[in-house]
Amino acid sequence: MVGTRLSLKHFKTPPPHLDAPFALYPVSILKPLKGTDEGLEENLKSFFKLNYPDFEILFSVADERDPAASVVKKLMRHYPRVCARLIVGYVDAGPNPKVNNMIKSYDQAKHDWILISDSNVRVEKNYVKRLVAHLDPSVGMVTAAVAGRNSEGLGGALESVYLNTFYARGMIITDRLGHPCVIGKSMLFRRSVAARFGGIQTLARYLAEDYMAGQAMGKLGLRVVIASDPVVQIIGKYKFKEFWSRHIRWGRIRKTQAPIPFLYEPFTNAIVSGVLGAFGLHQLFGFPVHSVLLVHLSVWAFCDILLMKKLKTEVGFFLPLYWFMRELLALPLWIHIASGNTVSWRGSRLRLETGGILAATPVTR
Amino acid sequence: MFLADLHMHSTFSDGKLTIPELVDIYGSRGFGAIAITDHLCESGSFLGKAAKYLQHTLTPASFPLYREILKSEAQRAWDQYRLVLIPGFELTKNSISNHRSAHILGLGVSNPIAADGDVVELARAIRGQGGLAIAAHPVSTQKVEKQTFHLWDRRRELAQELDAWEVASGPYFFDEVAESNLPKVASSDLHVRKQLTSWKTVFHCERKLEAIFQAIRKQELGFQFYDEVNPNEHRDWIHASSLGDQYLRNRGGHPALAQAL
Repeated sequence: MVGTRLSLKHFKTPPPHLDAPFALYPVSILKPLKGTDEGLEENLKSFFKLNYPDFEILFSVADERDPAASVVKKLMRHYPRVCARLIVGYVDAGPNPKVNNMIKSYDQAKHDWILISDSNVRVEKNYVKRLVAHLDPSVGMVTAAVAGRNSEGLGGALESVYLNTFYARGMIITDRLGHPCVIGKSMLFRRSVAARFGGIQTLARYLAEDYMAGQAMGKLGLRVVIASDPVVQIIGKYKFKEFWSRHIRWGRIRKTQAPIPFLYEPFTNAIVSGVLGAFGLHQLFGFPVHSVLLVHLSVWAFCDILLMKKLKTEVGFFLPLYWFMRELLALPLWIHIASGNTVSWRGSRLRLETGGILAATPVTR
Repeated sequence: MFLADLHMHSTFSDGKLTIPELVDIYGSRGFGAIAITDHLCESGSFLGKAAKYLQHTLTPASFPLYREILKSEAQRAWDQYRLVLIPGFELTKNSISNHRSAHILGLGVSNPIAADGDVVELARAIRGQGGLAIAAHPVSTQKVEKQTFHLWDRRRELAQELDAWEVASGPYFFDEVAESNLPKVASSDLHVRKQLTSWKTVFHCERKLEAIFQAIRKQELGFQFYDEVNPNEHRDWIHASSLGDQYLRNRGGHPALAQAL
């Protein structure tokens, strides 16, 4: 309840400097692309429609034959007045393909303010203004929570519930506890500041470049701020298997990066905390287990629905069922994550070491 | 003449201050050199593993960021304050037994070293990178904390392997080390801001890494107690040459020691 209240308050509070002189903060937007995600054209189009005084968009693909390149070229023809470039090339600086794909664009960006934005993100026209409105000299990076939309299939529905409850709330709570929490879907920072930790080339060593970027900002004594507005991620069609394997990978990276907080995770899910609480109250005060559990789950579900409503999740007939399924799956998923240190990565099975880096040799290929 | 602090920790291990904060604190007080020496713990031991999970040690994952931030801050420290920032780490072998525990400072080193080998191997690995290997707090620090006596127990054997031994750590001056003829340095082992009040090393050389290393090797240096509350108050300092046999004869008689007390 506290987490939900904090999250609702966070998403309700407007950015602090909406009257900032935005023309003094020209921004280079970096869009690393690979293949055509669900709704790619609409997602990219939203960046051509931005209302901001001075910005450029640098799309990067590793290979010119990438189907995303033709989508970009079409949009560039359609919006000739928007400063946009397509950069082709790949620098092998480490095992993170997203960073490797961006290095050329990063080096060629005209402006010091860099905004990294994933391809599956769709934004409002004032997106950049409202990000920049969070800046002050103590801020090293502005990131954003993610609101999942347009999900299809069972995996997509579970992903949507995951993003719009557990992840959104977890991000706000982690931030309030004083730990920088960054999601790579939206990261605004200064290149000159990133140069102090070696630039994005240094981040190519890590699978979770966003987490390490947040850590690096913290080590420089700068704050990471979560924007008032979440960015919209278009989830699209998603199979259950994809949902599961993606969360195994995310979870194992999380576990190796921050093992102690990972231990607490089961208690941040409705069913585990509910069962423990119900048995505890039964032992202490003799309250009936079923009634306590029912009240607990109802309150938790109500809080999650409020949060999902705030993040404008599509509310369908089956939403309560997906919510309950996600909660039921949370513990088995955590156990699966805890039971290993390997991840599937670009066709290989690789072992993760403490800090979220890959071991030198693959487990299998 | 300038003051130097050759042993301190940042948020990369168990310190509470970031590297830029350390640079600003020491730079704004006119120090000439500092070495940032975050823990690099043994990976095989229980205490080393605990340090890893508690994020109280450098790891292969955090080391690249550490190295890059030290590099960029070294440039800023020089440009802004004429402060020499020496990159380093503290190889940390902690065991339940104080006599099996040892901490070795590596100064002027940029590549990580696994702290799992014997202390002789570790000292040689540091020197192999052109760095200085220094025995950190080798005798009792008189505090309720983990003590590290292993290096002192083997001091005769290690005399040729280590470039210097801490004669003072924080506010404590170690008589045992002062009485010995081993080369010496003094430093704060700073983790929090209030530990600025502590012993420091005094140099008369140029503000350059090579000159500082040379001064340590030749023991052309001294020790002074720095008081953060009264930083401008005149304080005597002890020349390294007045320790050893001479210290044994005049034990406790130096005005700098009396002032520190």
